[in-house]
Formats: sequence, C-alpha cells, structure tokens
Amino acid sequence: MTPTTTATSRPAATRRPGRRRSFSITTPSWLFAAPALLVYALVVLYPAISGVFYAFTDWSGIGEDMSFVGLANFRTLLGDEQAMGSIGNTLLLTLAIVAVQNGIGLLLALGVHAKLRSRALLRVIFFAPVVVSPVMVAFLWKYIYNPDPSAGLNGLLGLDVNWLGDPSVALWSVAGMVVWQYAGYSMVIFLAGLEGVPKELHEAAMIDGAGTFQRFRYVTWPLLAPALTINMMLSTIGGLKLFDQIFATTNGGPGYATETLSTVLYKQAFVFGKFGYSTAIALVLALFVAAVSLVQVYYLRSREVTA
Amino acid sequence: MTDLRNARMSRVQFFRMMGGLAVAAAATACSTRPDTAATTGGPSATTELKFVGVADQKAPMDSLLAAYQQAKPSVRINASFAPTDQVQTSVRTQLGAGNSPDLHVVYPGSGSAMSMTQIGQAGLLADLSAQPWTRTIPAGFKPAFQLDGKTYIYSAGSSVIGAIYNKKAFEKAKVAAPPTTWTEFLAVCDKLKKAGITPIALGAQTPWVTQLITYALVPSTVYAKDPTFDDKQSAGQATFAGSGWRQAMEMYLELQKRGFFNDKPNGTTFEQQISMVATGKAAMAIQVSAVLPDFRKAASAADDLSMFPVPGADDAASVWIPAGVVVGLGASAKGKNVEEAKAFIDFLGKQESINAWAKAIAAIPLTQDASSTIDPAVESFLPFTKDRAVPFMDQRWPNAEVQPVHFAVVQELLAGKATIDEALKKMDEAYQK
Repeated sequence: MTPTTTATSRPAATRRPGRRRSFSITTPSWLFAAPALLVYALVVLYPAISGVFYAFTDWSGIGEDMSFVGLANFRTLLGDEQAMGSIGNTLLLTLAIVAVQNGIGLLLALGVHAKLRSRALLRVIFFAPVVVSPVMVAFLWKYIYNPDPSAGLNGLLGLDVNWLGDPSVALWSVAGMVVWQYAGYSMVIFLAGLEGVPKELHEAAMIDGAGTFQRFRYVTWPLLAPALTINMMLSTIGGLKLFDQIFATTNGGPGYATETLSTVLYKQAFVFGKFGYSTAIALVLALFVAAVSLVQVYYLRSREVTA
Repeated sequence: MTDLRNARMSRVQFFRMMGGLAVAAAATACSTRPDTAATTGGPSATTELKFVGVADQKAPMDSLLAAYQQAKPSVRINASFAPTDQVQTSVRTQLGAGNSPDLHVVYPGSGSAMSMTQIGQAGLLADLSAQPWTRTIPAGFKPAFQLDGKTYIYSAGSSVIGAIYNKKAFEKAKVAAPPTTWTEFLAVCDKLKKAGITPIALGAQTPWVTQLITYALVPSTVYAKDPTFDDKQSAGQATFAGSGWRQAMEMYLELQKRGFFNDKPNGTTFEQQISMVATGKAAMAIQVSAVLPDFRKAASAADDLSMFPVPGADDAASVWIPAGVVVGLGASAKGKNVEEAKAFIDFLGKQESINAWAKAIAAIPLTQDASSTIDPAVESFLPFTKDRAVPFMDQRWPNAEVQPVHFAVVQELLAGKATIDEALKKMDEAYQK
C-alpha cells in the first residue's frame, strides 16, 4: 500500500496536556553547555574583564597599592617609542606569516590532494610540526639558526647568515620558523576545502577545454574561498599575538628588532612591574586583533561562492 | 554487535549515566592530595614549605636542604628552580595573585622587578632584621639587603665580574700572566688573536650577558674617579651620558673593532660562550664568578679555568672591580608558614651554611671564619674588595627598566644600529622614569 502521508510529527492537538517535548540525545539543551561555559567564564571572561579594569590603574602587579589613573596608560602608549616601534614589527611579521604560510599551505594541500601513493604519509609529515609546542620548536630552531657557517641551516645551504643576531634578518628568521610550524595547519584547512570541490565541475571544465591552471583559477580557487577566509583569519590572529617563539629565541632582540606588542606587554608586566600599563597595551592589542579579524572576515566572506 | 549509533536511550537512562560519570569525576577530584598544604600538629606531622628559586641556586640549595631536613625533620621544603625569566614571571604572578611561595628568590637592591626594594615596598617580604646574621652585613652591602633599615633578603655573599680564562689557551699563545692594565689587556688579546684563538667569547644573544663587559669596566671609568656617582645620579646631578659610562662603551666597542670577539656575538648564546672557553676555542669570557662552576663542568679539567679582574684603566692602582651581592631569597610575609620560613633563613644565616653556599657558587662568603674557603679562581679579586669594589650597577638603579634598556642598547651597538650617544640617552631616559 502506498502511504498517503509522509508526516512524521504528531499533531499538537493529540499531545497529552502537560507533557513536555520528547527528549532527543542528538539535540541536547543549551544547559549541557553550562559547565563548559562556567569554566570559560571563570578562566577566560573574568580575567579578561578584570584586565580591562586594571588598564585604568597604575597597579605594579604585586601588592595592594593601586590608583585609578583614567586614560593615562593609553596616553603613555601613544608616546611610547618602543611600543610604537613594536607595532611596525608586529604588522610586518603578520604580513609575512599570512602571505607565506598560506601560500605554502596551499601548495602543500594541492600536492597532497593529488593521487600520490604516499599522500597519507606526507600529510602526517607536513602536519607534524603543528602538534609540537611552539617553545620546543623555537629551541629547535635556535640550533638550526646557528650563526656558525659550518652548522645548522648555514652549513646546509652554504651560507654565512647571522639569522637571529642581525637586526635586519632576525624578524624574518622568526617568521620563517613560524611558517615552518604552521604551514601544515593551513594545508589541512585548504585540504578540507579541496575535498569539497565537486568533481563534476572539473569534468565540465575539462570538457570545455580548460587546462590545469584554468581549472584551478576558475573552479578550485573560487570554491576555496571559505577555507581561505579561515586560514587568513587564523594566521592573522596568530601573527598579531605571536609571543612564544620570539620569547624563546630572541626575547625581542637584538636591540628591539623583533619586539612585538605581545613581548612589550609581557615585559611591561613582568620585567618592568607595570601591570596596569601592560593591560592597557593588551586591551589595545585585543581590540586591534578583533577589528582586523572582523574587517577581514567581512571582506573575504563577500567574495565566497558555493558550488 | 550493537550498533551504537542506532542505540536508543531513555531520558532516565541518560541522566543516570551522566550522574554516574559526574560522581566518578567528583570522587576522583576529591581523592587528589593537595601538594603544598601545611600539616602541623601531632607527633608525625610535618610542615611543608614551598620554595621557588632561580636555576643558579640549585647547587647550593640541594645540599643545604638536605642538611636542614636532618636538622629539622618536621619541616619539608619542596623546592623548584627555573631560569631567570621564567622564575620572574611565575613568582611575580603568584605574588600578585596572593598565593606566593613561602620562600622565593629575591634579587638584591632595587634594579629588578623581583628586587628586594620592589617586593619589600609592596609589603610582601617578611622582616628578617631580628636574625643574628643580619648584624654582620658589611656596611657597603646594606643597600642591597635593607629597605628603611630593615633586612628583607638573605644572600650568602658576593660574586665578582671579571675574565674567566682558559689557562691552556693562554699558554698556547705564550701569555705569561693575566694583564693588570687596559693596554696590557689589549696586548694579550692581540697575542691570542695572532695565535689563532678567539680572545673573548661573547654570548650577547642571551640578554643578561650583554651587560657584563660594561659592568667590568665602569668601576674603573666611573667609580674610581667618583665613588659617590650613584648618589649624584640619584639626585639628578649626574647622567650616564655625562660620565665615564661613555668611556666604558667606547672601550667595549674597541674590543669589537679590533676583532677580539667571536664572530656574530649577537647570534651567540651564553651556552655557546661557555663551550668556546671551556674547549679553548676562545681564551676568555667576561663573566660573573657565580657561573664559574658551569664553565668548569664543560671543561675537560676544572683546573683549566681561572679568573682575573678586567683592568679598566691604564694605571693599575686605578683599577676597580664590580663585586655584587649574589642573588638571594626571602620569606613571604603573606604565607601561612612565615615563622617556619624565617627559621629556614635563620639556618642559612649560620656560618657553616654561608660557607657551603658560597663554596658551591665560587662566591666570597658574606662573613668568614676559620672554616671559610675562597675559591682560588677569585683570590686575585680579594685585594680589591676592601676599598676598590662597587656593587653591580643595577643594584642601585631606581627602577627595573634601566637594565633591560642596557641589554638592548648593547646589542644595538654591537650590530652597528646605534651610536654611543643614542645608547646612553636611552639609558638616561629609562633611569628617569
């Protein structure tokens, strides 16, 4: 017999009065998120909001002496030569990381997306650095960046470069180290995007006579836009708040050559004992990162297409 | 086999399962033993004290903690150590959060965020003034130990800054004796260079290493001419730019200009510096005597290494040296076990403890008796300690900003990215903040 109706929901009128909606394990209530939200509020939101308060004080980070200083910390920031210089370094570093990390990530993704026998192994190899602690990577690269012409990267490439000790090179050396670690992360996201490109579109383009580059340019690239948006945003945020790798390799030096906003705010808090000023810098950095991310997402989303 | 994805579960079953998991988790959490809780009272009870120190303190503390454990079995001290940067971050965070360790590292004087003055002013250090050893602190060292007449830090003695040198490298270059004037020092460097040995290993990528050459020279170029320089600078009557600091920086750069440093000092670390001198690839490193044990560990024989004062003047009688109080420790004023923590410091203040600590780090003991020993490597500094020695410069600086600025400007000078004028101007600006 052919069913005459396909409705599966019970009409409201047939429900017994007072009976609650049936429970479904696949669509749990928001209440289930409450424990995680509570922990998040205590560990992340509360300290962050406290930070906003301290940004308007002159607290040293220890003791109970503290005065409300209004916008004085923000005025100091505007006149702080070191902090202003670090903004330039932060932006340069971010630009380099975003461009190179995503470029290499895309090439790696295209490479391991091809029908290679060893592609599963290659994916693991390229992704492996991502799971290593950034500080461990930094220590490893301190050896790779040995200035001795016969050691490390210099020995391998036959160069004589003072990777971390030359102020005009050190920032790019740090960027190279970060790209080495996170290119695999970008690769995975691009790979997910590539998996979502329908084969039919490629077949149709091939029938139309499109070559490899044209298929990439007019089929793959537009459909990778969502993956690009995520990668751009994550690498931008990562670049703007980069700290561990710099702290473990150059500590902002030589001189102030690799000083970024993150290292400056760390030093203000823990080396100079100016916790209030440090939180003011942190607040400005957080707002800056949020603003850049929003603009970026807004722009990149506008050019996304779907298959 | 049951297909889990299609398994059905009633609401009651689901909540039972979740409840069970929650109870199990809570039971596990409650069974965890708190790691630093003090448990006093009763015949077998112990008090646990937490100590956080800097890595340099590990060697002396290990032996003294064992001795204290024997002397006072009812107190157990959990000690942990970390390099300077990390310890500064972690201890300051704990101090700020109100859960400071019972005992922790404290730097003498006032020029660091973890200095006695800065933490003492915040009321976070217990007053140690009643302890007998505090009455023997030499007058010249009191600013490093005391704030407003009260003692807040324990330190076992003083260390000196000078040239750690490899005797075999000197022999190879036919250098008969350590130099006693600046001209002689330059001549020795020249001789070493001609013998194919790097005269001075400099690990300026490690920030604190950058300061040591200026610290070694400034006593002769500044304090020998005006012992009251610190007081005048504090009163605004003297500056870095207008003092012998300029001459010291010029001498620093002269060493670089003459090719007496290893290649790429800004890309060389402290560890590499140690290796270069220990293996004889380099002949000298201008260093603090507290790290002499690290150099000895890396050398094939400990006797290969010794030290001499860096002569910062051309008249041997005008050569002064830096001799500063070594990094110490204090008791938290806000801890739960203040009296027990102070009792441990009182134990450290006994002469045999001072001797043991000083021996472990090649320091000159704060007070000396017949059983005190002084490392033969620093004996050549002893004639200076009476009236031709000054504390490490940062111990009198008014804030924690001057020292990091000094690190940074030295790196810039070595990289040729700044002039001495610019460097000293930045240091003066930091001093006045």
